[in-house]
Formats: sequence, C-alpha cells, structure tokens
Amino acid sequence: MSDHTEHLEELREIVAEVLELEPEEVADAGDFVDEYDADSLRAIEILARIEKKYKVDIPQSELNDMRSLKAVYTVVARYAGWRD
Amino acid sequence: MMITGRAVLAPAGDADATPLYDDLPAHSAPVLAGFSVRERLGRKGTSTFDRATALAVVACGEALRDAGVDLTTVDPARVGLVLGTTVGSLASTMDFSRETLVQDKPYLVNPMQFPNTVMNCAAGQSAIWYGLRGVNATVAGGPIAFLQAMRYAVRAIEKSQADTVLVGAVEEFTPHTAWSSALSGTVAAGEAATVFVLRRAVTGMAEVLATAAGFTPADGPGALPGCVRRALAQAGASPEQVWAMATGDHLDDGEAGAVEAALGRRPLDLSPRARYGDCGAAAGGLALAAVLDRRADAPADAVAVVTGRARDGAVAAAVIRTVPE
Amino acid sequence: MAGLTLRARVVVTGLGPVSSIGIGVTAFRAALREGRSGISPIESFDAEGFPYRDAGEVKDFRPETYLTRLSPAAWGRSAQLAAAAARLAAADAGLPDDACADAGVVIGTTSGESQVVESLVAQQVAGGFAAMDPGTLRQFPAERLAAGVATELGLAGEVLTLATACSASNYAVGYAFDCVARGDADLMFAGGADSVCRWAQAGFHRLGALTESACRPFDKGRAGIITGEGGAVLLLENADHARARGARVYAEVLGYGVNCDARHMVAPDEDSIAACMRLAHQDADVKPDEIDYICAHGTGTPANDLVEARAVRQVFGERIPPVSSIKSMLGHTMGAASGFGAIATTLAIADGFLPPTINWTTQDDELPWIDPVPNVARPATVRIAQNDGFAFGGNNAITVFGAAR
Repeated sequence: MSDHTEHLEELREIVAEVLELEPEEVADAGDFVDEYDADSLRAIEILARIEKKYKVDIPQSELNDMRSLKAVYTVVARYAGWRD
Repeated sequence: MMITGRAVLAPAGDADATPLYDDLPAHSAPVLAGFSVRERLGRKGTSTFDRATALAVVACGEALRDAGVDLTTVDPARVGLVLGTTVGSLASTMDFSRETLVQDKPYLVNPMQFPNTVMNCAAGQSAIWYGLRGVNATVAGGPIAFLQAMRYAVRAIEKSQADTVLVGAVEEFTPHTAWSSALSGTVAAGEAATVFVLRRAVTGMAEVLATAAGFTPADGPGALPGCVRRALAQAGASPEQVWAMATGDHLDDGEAGAVEAALGRRPLDLSPRARYGDCGAAAGGLALAAVLDRRADAPADAVAVVTGRARDGAVAAAVIRTVPE
Repeated sequence: MAGLTLRARVVVTGLGPVSSIGIGVTAFRAALREGRSGISPIESFDAEGFPYRDAGEVKDFRPETYLTRLSPAAWGRSAQLAAAAARLAAADAGLPDDACADAGVVIGTTSGESQVVESLVAQQVAGGFAAMDPGTLRQFPAERLAAGVATELGLAGEVLTLATACSASNYAVGYAFDCVARGDADLMFAGGADSVCRWAQAGFHRLGALTESACRPFDKGRAGIITGEGGAVLLLENADHARARGARVYAEVLGYGVNCDARHMVAPDEDSIAACMRLAHQDADVKPDEIDYICAHGTGTPANDLVEARAVRQVFGERIPPVSSIKSMLGHTMGAASGFGAIATTLAIADGFLPPTINWTTQDDELPWIDPVPNVARPATVRIAQNDGFAFGGNNAITVFGAAR
C-alpha cells in the first residue's frame, strides 16, 4: 500500500467512526454535511482525532474546507507535510 | 388529565453488572443488564448518547406507542416533554471534566460529548429523535423530580402550552452513581426510565386529579402530611376514599408514616421501596407504575396517593384515580 | 390561557443580583448604566493550559455576609449564590422574614453544583472512585439550588429547580408567574444560579465558541462567549398583595413563551426562536410594535447573534426595537443568564434606560437592522420589553415585562 492510500484509509476510518458509518460507506467525494448528516461538533471531533493521530495543529478555520474525505486529505497533507 | 400510555424500563432484580463496567463497588446491582441502545434504535445518531439519554429516548418511544400517539398526524408543536432528573448524567459531567485534568491540554475534550454535560440532554435528544417541538422542560428534583415533572406537565396542558405531554424521569446506573451510593451509605444505586403520556381525554389508564408540593427544612417536622391533605382537598377526595399509596421511599418507612398521619390510617401500601435499588428521580414514576399495575383491585370511586420527599425537605404528592381496564 | 381564564396580575417587587458587575440592585443598576465589565482572570480553578483564561467570576461574593441560615460548608457555591440572591430580593422588596413563609421558589440552572462535581472529579483522579468524600457527595444534587433558597428564607411553598440549561431562569420566571397568576401563591422567588467551572471553559473552547477577553455581541468581529457565573433572583408578587402591603412595584410580568427546536443540541434555530417570540407575545397579549426593548440572549458567538437577529426581523418586521446584550458585561452566566436579563429588563422599564452592549466597535453588515445600544446606556421610555433565553437542547424561553400600572 502506498503512503497515499494508507493515509487516505486511515482518514476514512476516523471519519466513519465519528459519523457513525462503516468505512466503505464513506465515499472519497461524499459531502459530510449533505450526505452524512455531519454537524459542527462532529467536524471538530474529526479534526481533533486527526490532530492527535498525526501530531499536527490544524486551525479550526480550515473546517470549512474539510467537507469531504478528499478535501480532508488535502488539508491534512498540507499541514503534515505529506508528499504522497 | 388522563394518563393514556406508559413505558417503564426497570430491572427485574440484581444482575451481574461487570459486563457493563469494570470499576464497581459490588459486582451485582439492580441494572438493566441487557439494555443496548444500538439494538433498540440503531447506530446512527445514538453513538454519542450517554446511558440516561439512551434510556429516555427509548422510553419516550415506548410510551408514545403505548398511547397510540401517531406523530405524523398531530402538530409536533403541540406535543411536549417534561423529564425529571437528579443531575442529568453524573458520568457524563464527571468524565468530561476529568478529561480537562488528565489530557495534555485541558481543552482536549471530545466536543461530541459536551452536550451530554447539560442536565436537559435527555429531554433535548428525545425531542430531536421524535420531533417534539412543544414545551420541553427538565426538572432537577432528585427523589421528587417525577412528581414535580407531573405537576409541570399538568400545568402546561391547563395553560394550553401543549395538547399532549410526555412526562417522565430517568436515572442511569454507572460506576459514578454506584460508588456515590456505596460511599454515602444508602441503598445501592439502580436505574430506571419511566415515561407516561398525559393529555385531556375521557379514556385511559388513570386520571391525575391533583398534585401538590411543599417544603420544610430537613431538620423540621416534615411537610408531607400537609402536602397530601392539600392534594386530596384539591382533588375533592376524602381521606376515606384513599385505597392505596405508593411512596418513593427506599430508606425507611418515613414517607408511609407521613401519609398515615395525613389520612388517619394506613391504606394498602404499594411502594416499590428498594425493589429496584435507589432509582433517584425515577422513583416516583415507579411508584405510579405500581399503582397502575394494581388498578384491577381499585374499588369504585377510590383514589390512590403517590408521594415523594427529598433529603433537604422538599415534598410532593399526586392523587390518582385509576380507570378500570 | 390568555383571554380564556381570569388570571391575577403579577408584579416584580424585589430584585437580587449577585453578579460580577455588582451585588445588590443598587450596584447592579449603576454598573448597567456605566457599562461596566465584570470580566477578569480566572481564580476559581487553575486555568493553566487554557488558551483563554478570563471569566466573569463574582470575586466579591462573601456568602457569610448574606446568608444567615445556610452554612457555606454544607452547601455548594451555586446554592449559595441562589440563596444570597433571594435574600437580597426579599430585603429589596421590604419583606420581613416571617412574611415569606408561604412563598415558593423556582431556580433555573445549567450545571447545578458544577464546582462540587469538579471536587469529586479531583478526588477521583487522585485516588479512584473510592476516594470520593461522602460530605462532598451529599452536595452535588441540583435540587439543592432551590432547596438552599427555601432553607435560607424559611419557605414552605413549592420548591423547584429547573435544569433547562441557559434559558432556565426564564423557565423559572415563567413557572413562578403561573403560580402567582393562577392564585397558587402570592409570593414566588424566581431566577437562576451557576458557577464558573473547568468543564464549561473546556467545552466551549473546544467548540470554538470562546473568545479571549472581550465579548462583543452583534459586532462584526464577535468571536464567542466568555463564561460567567452568578445568582439572579426576582420576587414575583400578586399585584393586589403588593398593593395591600404598600410594596414598591418595579414592573409587571405580562407572560412568557417556551418551545423546543427539536433539531440540534447546540445549534440555534431561527424559525423556532421566532415561534417562541410569538408564543410569548400571545401569552402576554402584546403585539411586536408595542415592544420598546429586547434584552437579547446575545451570547456573542457568530451563530447565535445572527440567528437571533434574523428571528427578531422575522417577528418584528420593519419596526425593530433596540436589542442589547448584557453578556458583553457579565459574560455568559449560563442558567443565571436570563435571570440577569429579567432583572435588567425590569430596571430598564422602572428607571427608563437601555443597558448597553459594551465592547462594540463595528457594524455587522449581515444584521444592519440591529441597534445594539453600543457602549453607552441610553435614556428611554420602556413600556414593554422582552427578555430572550435560548439553550442547549433547543430549550427556548422568552419572558415579557411591562410598566407598572
């Protein structure tokens, strides 16, 4: 598994857990709010778990851009310095 | 004011509580050992519920079903909910607060758990689950909370704030409550959720004829006899008409003695007492359920008295006339 | 009930604020007029590690100054705040001790005895559950807030604690209003109390709903709340009873409305809040264009103030009265908040001024119809005013007050 795939799957698991879904139910481009009933509390918790797991600090102002798994990956990659 | 439906979630007796929790003062306790919110309501939307909230949401659903309330045909703004509690979920508040002490940073708490720290969480989540947009209140009254909630609900209907009100009380069993009871030297903590459906109706299980409340400081003579007499007077019932009583007491016989003092005799005593452990706010609901369970035995034109008293001196009473089945 | 059943008129004859901007009605009124801030560095717990370390604590509160029957050692801080506030309200109303006996009390709260619970947490963290102190355990039930008031004042009436979070004082005033209007009681103490605590500071910070040191409701740059505390109690009295004893009447309670969003535990809902305003107006038998002032819930979070402003526009249309938030001065005192709002509303009517929204600098283009009474109190004739209270759990409650007749 490439780093990219591994990171994406780890993020998918975090998102699924917080949104009360199975990982396979979380599509890469699925909108958290419109498709999975996410709210601000869950969004903040997703951010919190990511910060804990990868030991990064991501400001809450990024939350507006983190509405899908793909978008989450892009933001986290930027802050964590992933080059995958 | 008629009780048209009910739900009682209460343990049948002591059970092994160790599959639920590790850290307990005793392995065996009066818990709802088999209760699983996921089994009852599914995973979606329930994973953040604390136990008190989960019990309340399930009990509200059962009570609505029992009363035959079809939420698709009534105006949800006319359906209310009043729940009694002691402090909401002690486990939720303590565990959330604990995180502020043990995490690297005190603010590294789980935001999804924050709503569980407010005492109206169970009522708020139940309202969301069933779409109940009418009057919604949480009464923190400990042992008399259910009777206070009943009083609140009756008034809400009389004031036309709602047509139908779910009235109940819930108390969860967690290590926090178990240790609290054990260290305080009282009856072991139990857990229960009791919810009743109240509305103006001609048929149902029982009529709530009157409620009353009062207070004397804990070291005073006790306000319960006077409270029972006032409730009876409001109900237009004489002491001779009382065929049964059910108290919320689990400590001793004090409450039954106070009812006896009010009536001049002791009617049939249906108090659940320690059968379910100390169920806190739900005690009054269990007492009312005990009366409803025996309604086949009620003489015509007779009434029952349900009472409660809190340690600091607050008391409440309700006068109930059951409807033959 | 309006129009269908005769109900007694209910007036406010005593005020008891125990707040970070002043204790007692004289100090509180002066602070509202001056636009004083009660925000200061947190001292009630070790705020080390919290990025924001200010709160609206009542640092001057010495319970033994006010309480004659309650032993501070046996009662938690919230009960003490409630009992002191009720003592002050009784004294302000000129009620002798023995005249209170038939009175009742309704106290609203968000977190009850939060500092007692946090003492238990500290004991548990140090030594496990078995290390919890029985004396501390005795003090955590939230019913003790109202019981503390009743014990302190020797009341024999109805004693009730309502735990509907941050609108709880309005619930309490509403319930007490009904008690007096129905004739169940001539005198009811009503209000709320809460104490600053770690878990609220942490929770609101985590939600991104906390601001650093200046709460600026309705300002373009508003960034959140500051946690606060206090006890706020009003004495509600049957109007005839008040007249018979020659009591000074501050204002009349006209009615209230309560409803539930039933949508989200923490996000406010414009339509539901607008519906609650209409329920309150209906119960009080007033029309929006008769209302001269709105004492806002106005927490200072971007979401609350926008939603509240939109609900106001929905209900009031083109004629929108001034809308100010005293949370700019007090912080968010949680279950006491709408109690302080009720006191401020009562004083606005009685003394003819609008309390300001302090820390206000910049108009928010998203809510240009809001006149927040920026920074300086304003003289005004206030005949009828509404006091907003919203809460977690979607528990909305709004009270309406009018000038004494």
